[in-house]
Amino acid sequence: MLMSVALLVPWVAGVLLVAFDGRRHVVAWLAVASLTATLVLVSVLAADVLGGGTQQLVTGGWPAGVGIVLRADALGVAFAWLSVLVLLAGAAHEAVRRVRSRTFPGLVVLLAAGLTGLFITADVFTFYVFFELAMTASYALSAYGGKRRQLRAALVFTAVNLLGSFIFLLSVAGAYRVTGTLAMDQIADRMVAVNPNASLLIAAGFFIAFSVKLGLFPFHFWLPTVYAGSRPAVAAILSGAVANIGAYGLLRFGAGVFPGQLEKTGVALAVLGAVSIVYGGVLAIGRGDTAEMLAYSAIGQVGYVLVALGVGGPVGLTAAVLYSVVNSLNKALLFLASGTRGLFIASAFAIGALSVAGVPPTAGFVGKLELFRTGVVAGSVALVVLLVVGSVLSLVYMFQVYQRAFWREGPVAAGAASPVAQRLLVAVLAVLVLAAGLWPEPLLALSARAVEALLVEGPG
Amino acid sequence: MILAFALVAAVLFGSGAYLLLKRDLIRMVAGIMLISQCAVVTLLASSLTRGQAAIAVRPGDQVSDPLPQALALTALVIGLATVAMLLALVHRAIVVFRTAEQDEIAATESEHEAKLEQERQADREEVEGSPEDEEEPETARDAGRSR
Amino acid sequence: MVSPGESDETPDSMVRVVARRLPGPSLMVAAALIAKGYAEVGDGFAAGVIVALAIALVYVALGGEAAEAALPLLRHAPKLAVGGLLLALASGFFPLALGEPPVSHRPAPGEHVVKIGVLELFTPLLFDIGVFLLVVGVLTILLHHLARPRGEARR
Repeated sequence: MLMSVALLVPWVAGVLLVAFDGRRHVVAWLAVASLTATLVLVSVLAADVLGGGTQQLVTGGWPAGVGIVLRADALGVAFAWLSVLVLLAGAAHEAVRRVRSRTFPGLVVLLAAGLTGLFITADVFTFYVFFELAMTASYALSAYGGKRRQLRAALVFTAVNLLGSFIFLLSVAGAYRVTGTLAMDQIADRMVAVNPNASLLIAAGFFIAFSVKLGLFPFHFWLPTVYAGSRPAVAAILSGAVANIGAYGLLRFGAGVFPGQLEKTGVALAVLGAVSIVYGGVLAIGRGDTAEMLAYSAIGQVGYVLVALGVGGPVGLTAAVLYSVVNSLNKALLFLASGTRGLFIASAFAIGALSVAGVPPTAGFVGKLELFRTGVVAGSVALVVLLVVGSVLSLVYMFQVYQRAFWREGPVAAGAASPVAQRLLVAVLAVLVLAAGLWPEPLLALSARAVEALLVEGPG
Repeated sequence: MILAFALVAAVLFGSGAYLLLKRDLIRMVAGIMLISQCAVVTLLASSLTRGQAAIAVRPGDQVSDPLPQALALTALVIGLATVAMLLALVHRAIVVFRTAEQDEIAATESEHEAKLEQERQADREEVEGSPEDEEEPETARDAGRSR
Repeated sequence: MVSPGESDETPDSMVRVVARRLPGPSLMVAAALIAKGYAEVGDGFAAGVIVALAIALVYVALGGEAAEAALPLLRHAPKLAVGGLLLALASGFFPLALGEPPVSHRPAPGEHVVKIGVLELFTPLLFDIGVFLLVVGVLTILLHHLARPRGEARR
């Protein structure tokens, strides 16, 4: 019941808001209000799920297998909560200033509907449908601003991600062909008996589709143009909320549906992740533009998630979940801070930068610590060295940009300050990142519960 | 039958990929459309059976699998929506950049960027400019050019 | 990108006449597709695409402005799309208010259904009509954008 309402509210609100002129303040604030309502609903749902276990609902009162199965487990609600939070921050950031296009508020709310839906579905094809709802909204969002840079960013983003979607669809067809079902848990059960070459091919298809969303190394080519080209709020939404699809997909499909294939290719994934970390880190150094640096940094940061996934096991997966959450918060904070000027913003950006580098007492430290634990458990010296190198790289590029953007005396640094509300929003995100670092237990417990749901209760 | 489907899907994907490599935006859209059709054909091929519709089946009847048909329909609808979205974007791009060639778009954009950067530099040296002010002239110029 | 002013781009009178008359019959075909969709081939989406094709021909033959002058309804395409989507959502989610899972339908399976010929009046019909309106609306919005002369293309 709660699940359906959490889905219904952003959907109806989004459709209604798209119809009105989003440049009016009322409409923008209504969007913020409906996102807040969604966040509250998802929070209640999350509390229910964490307290009372996984919830399931079959549409139409049909038996499972005929009707569409929606299932909210700890992993799903964690990602749904995080994504709606980032969307709320992005929408509020624009609403305070002035929304520049008619459709922006409605699209953000529709994006929330798509993301919530895909995180709580237990069916591969329904996943695809919500995935496309979310992606279509984000294609339109990436053109937000309407200037040349944004338009080119939108073209690149749309073309590349459409291809990714079709590769996903091809893999769905393949999975249905060899297993005869679309329910995630049944696919996982039957995949064991399938010809290993076929299952590996299908798993590779899913991997490519999600890597494209996430911007992992060999599929990252679109990312710098898009993140640097779009407006800060949109970049925050794309990297903090839409990219969660990729991280969630890798976890759900990798660890939940294709655990055997994940184990087989673990080393290859870890190597790809390592290349991603080094590539992103090295290219981020020396970027003059803050947004461009953040884009390359994003490529590096998602590498950690892949490395943790490649190592696998409960420890590795917990680290992967934790790091995806932390990374998404970091990116939302940094992109929003890069679009804001005035008092506190330098400190907020510094907190984000420290968090990316993994310096205590920020959330990033907790993430890095979990990754270290993964490295130690796996007994891999290379992994620990990689983590140190990655952190040093991120410290270097973050503070280069920090210095350029905030330490310079003169007209740019002193330029007109952003509205107080906008700065307050960035400050709240910064405090959240700090709080998660100072009191990491809830986050750790949440990640552990999410992985438990993924491994023990079966995929779904 | 499966072989025929596989061939069709392969040809569709191949032609789509070939078109994608062209520098022209409209061809790129056509390529993506072909690849989307390839995905639909694959969905159909994944479990195509002949038989009665799966509603109110009598025992002994051969039943066709309704699922791939439902999937193909849904995929078609979604494909239509996303490709329409892409087409609208390409149209905007052609109007704004006045070309459908990717290379030229990249070139005009970098030229534009360089000019903007110069202006920003001048801004920094002389007057205090808020981020809002940096962006306004661009909008005005764009609008002027496209008319 | 046909504009009424450019005579060499304007299609001949035959096309214009056909285009002007076609939306009516296309609506009939669409209604038939929706009505028989529960027993044979056809659904709201196919019906919507057929009407949208007829509208596309109007835009091609008359050009953007003239098309919207001839069929003022086309200007309300956004409302059509939003209304259709809301109708579809409502028919999907209304069972929540009755305490049933979403996408249940009324009359429930096995209950008495009012019939008009082969057409059964139950809530999925509303869903199909919603999808039909949505498809027509969205495609018309797209046509409207593509048909605008170059100078107006920026918002």
